[in-house]
Amino acid sequence: MATFTATPARASFALKPVQVPVCKISNVRSVSLPVGSRSFPSLKARRFQVSCAAKKETVDKVCEIVRKQLALPADAVVNGESRISDLGADSLDTVEIVMAIEETFDITVEEDGAQTISSVQNAADLIEELLKKKGA
Amino acid sequence: MASSAAAAAAPSKLEVLALLRSLLRTAGGFHDYNVREYTKRRALDGFRHNKDLADPSAVAAAFSDGKSQLEVAKRQAIVYSLYAPEVKNVMELKR
Repeated sequence: MATFTATPARASFALKPVQVPVCKISNVRSVSLPVGSRSFPSLKARRFQVSCAAKKETVDKVCEIVRKQLALPADAVVNGESRISDLGADSLDTVEIVMAIEETFDITVEEDGAQTISSVQNAADLIEELLKKKGA
Repeated sequence: MASSAAAAAAPSKLEVLALLRSLLRTAGGFHDYNVREYTKRRALDGFRHNKDLADPSAVAAAFSDGKSQLEVAKRQAIVYSLYAPEVKNVMELKR
């Protein structure tokens, strides 16, 4: 009778230390998972640049032309997303800007192409497209 | 008379801008610096001066005036090209 009671005590005694290392092992496994992820952020950045479809220097040149034509003060923000009408240009100014773009980049903008230009980014994209056609 | 006046109805904004574009393009074709710059300046000043016209007959008159000036400029561009100067104007020399 005494021996019978002794063994369950030993069994239960043996179970407890076994449980603890199992938990430790599982923790270690969960920590190692983030290390396995590859460098995804850099791929995403590359994809962003391709979708813009206009070189930075083209956008800068267009900003310079717009700034000179509208006589904007030096602190006025002109970037890719600026809409020309928001910067204070009326349709005559837009025609002059398109003429200056034609002169600078040595391209000819068609009538319907000139109508679609509403922002600096539009103009830069159109310029890139026309330069590609010319170069082809 | 009335039919010809009705035929010259007020031009749309796109037609007006297309006329300005043709004038500036024709102006760019002159070989003489002075004539080129004058034509560009005169075209822009003329359009800006008439920018706020409201009366449709006045707009139509200004538009037809602009069209006749465009014809003059095109003819003169051809004539000037026959006598293109050999020496570039000092303003055209790049520093």
